[in-house]
Amino acid sequence: MITANENVDGSKITASLSRTLQFGDSMFPVGAFSFSSGLESAVQEGVVRNAATLRAFARTAVEQAARGDCIALIAAHRAATAGEIDTLVRIDAQVYARKLSDEARTMSVRMGKKFTEMGVAVIGASLLRTWRECIEKSVTPGCYPIALAINFAAQELPAYHAFVVHQYGVATTILGAALRLMKVSHIETQKILYELAGEVEQMYATAAAARLSDMAGFAPLTEILAAVHTRARVRLFMN
Amino acid sequence: MIPAAVPPWARAEALGASMPEFAPFQDEPPQMRSGTVGKTGYLRLGFEQRSGQTILANLQRQAPYMVQRALHCDEAMPGLASVFLITTTGCVLQGDRLALDITLGPRAQAHLTSQSATKIHAMDANYAAQSQTITLFEDAYLEFIPEPVIPHRESRFLSDTQISVAPSATLLLSEIIQAGRKYHHPDECFGATVLSISTSATRPDGRSLFAEKLVIEPRRYEMRQTGVMNSFDVFANVVLCTPKEKAVRIHERAEADVNQAGGIALGACYLPNDAGLIFKVLGRETAQVKAKVREIWGLVRQEVIGAALPPLYLWR
Repeated sequence: MITANENVDGSKITASLSRTLQFGDSMFPVGAFSFSSGLESAVQEGVVRNAATLRAFARTAVEQAARGDCIALIAAHRAATAGEIDTLVRIDAQVYARKLSDEARTMSVRMGKKFTEMGVAVIGASLLRTWRECIEKSVTPGCYPIALAINFAAQELPAYHAFVVHQYGVATTILGAALRLMKVSHIETQKILYELAGEVEQMYATAAAARLSDMAGFAPLTEILAAVHTRARVRLFMN
Repeated sequence: MIPAAVPPWARAEALGASMPEFAPFQDEPPQMRSGTVGKTGYLRLGFEQRSGQTILANLQRQAPYMVQRALHCDEAMPGLASVFLITTTGCVLQGDRLALDITLGPRAQAHLTSQSATKIHAMDANYAAQSQTITLFEDAYLEFIPEPVIPHRESRFLSDTQISVAPSATLLLSEIIQAGRKYHHPDECFGATVLSISTSATRPDGRSLFAEKLVIEPRRYEMRQTGVMNSFDVFANVVLCTPKEKAVRIHERAEADVNQAGGIALGACYLPNDAGLIFKVLGRETAQVKAKVREIWGLVRQEVIGAALPPLYLWR
């Protein structure tokens, strides 16, 4: 708890909270607003029709991320803290190989690249510069969870914060798109976001205990919606 | 004979011992122990192209798995070796450790299917595990389209498939998974405890193409949740490894639709690293899903080989 706001530790904690908020903000310019994570076709196909189905759809996305990408995120945070670039490249390749929808891949590598570039510009740590070089030279695809982990490790922010930011981002991307795609109020989307935050603790414990090879998932309808989206005549979002 | 040093099902055993979803099920069955004689099915199938026809050049088998011979019964592809995989026990039981190794030499063409649906029986101890390797050399062509898997209540099943595919080869691998015997008992619908299905593919030089691990745990993760199964009961996963230009032509012609009223949804996505395509099909009834998988099969055969499908069996 931050009670002793006059001592050094207190100001460090305050700065780390502020930076977690900064890099986790949906306003942070990595282009998250141009993606809907499948919600656009879910609304077009009538799979998501109201606040209840939106809540369930967002919950599925958060759950799938916790079972997959977030295991890699935590492993990458560990590797980045130890400065092991080779391990990071290996983890990144595994995340990329597990993104079986082309639109999900595009989203992950675009946001990953942008997030790394922003990190270099704002923080300027050497690890971030090395990672940007790896992406530019196509040594590694540069998926978003890895970029997020490296950024947070470079700032000495804990893996748990990176996890929360990742999951918050998954939810807000969908909920932000929902406000533009369907009839739903800000009050309803905020209620959903509030509810989803209640499960983050348990999800983190499970993901932190898992090995990289344990990355798994099961959401076939979400994957079909991604496939349907590439065929849609009218598209507001990139996925 | 099976080489004794490292039995082929050792991989299945090792995976079952290490995957977290099987950690609660390491107890031994009170009947026969896991992985003992009769519970370790093995098949090694080696197909080779010899003067215009594909033959089953290498066959090793151990009960309960069985293969009799390759048939050349496909009128549109007379050189194609058709093989029926037979399980003499008729189902998968707790403690089973199964292994299947399939190799297609350069230009070999084969069609593999099972005799009937694979039932995975209810389990009160341990689990069943199966490991498969599929190796395709240059210009090889394999259709591996078994009948559906029917997981019974309280079943625990691990399947791991490792693919090595040459850039010029084509592999069509389909897997249809039912919710269970839903008309037998309401608890049979998504009544399985764990289904863990891993598939990964590499090029012959070891370069990774893609990986997928589906873990279905209906008690942990709600099956009816929006984006997961919704109101659908049957799921098909169809992997197509094929050269890029063929994948593009097939993707252009592939159907993508969500029809909740009609009870069918399907779509195809490009796999990473130009590996090919992956199709997902959901349906309310098995027949609908099988019909769509057959359409995909027809599309692939037409674009890759230029041949038509054999007529539909009346009783399958």
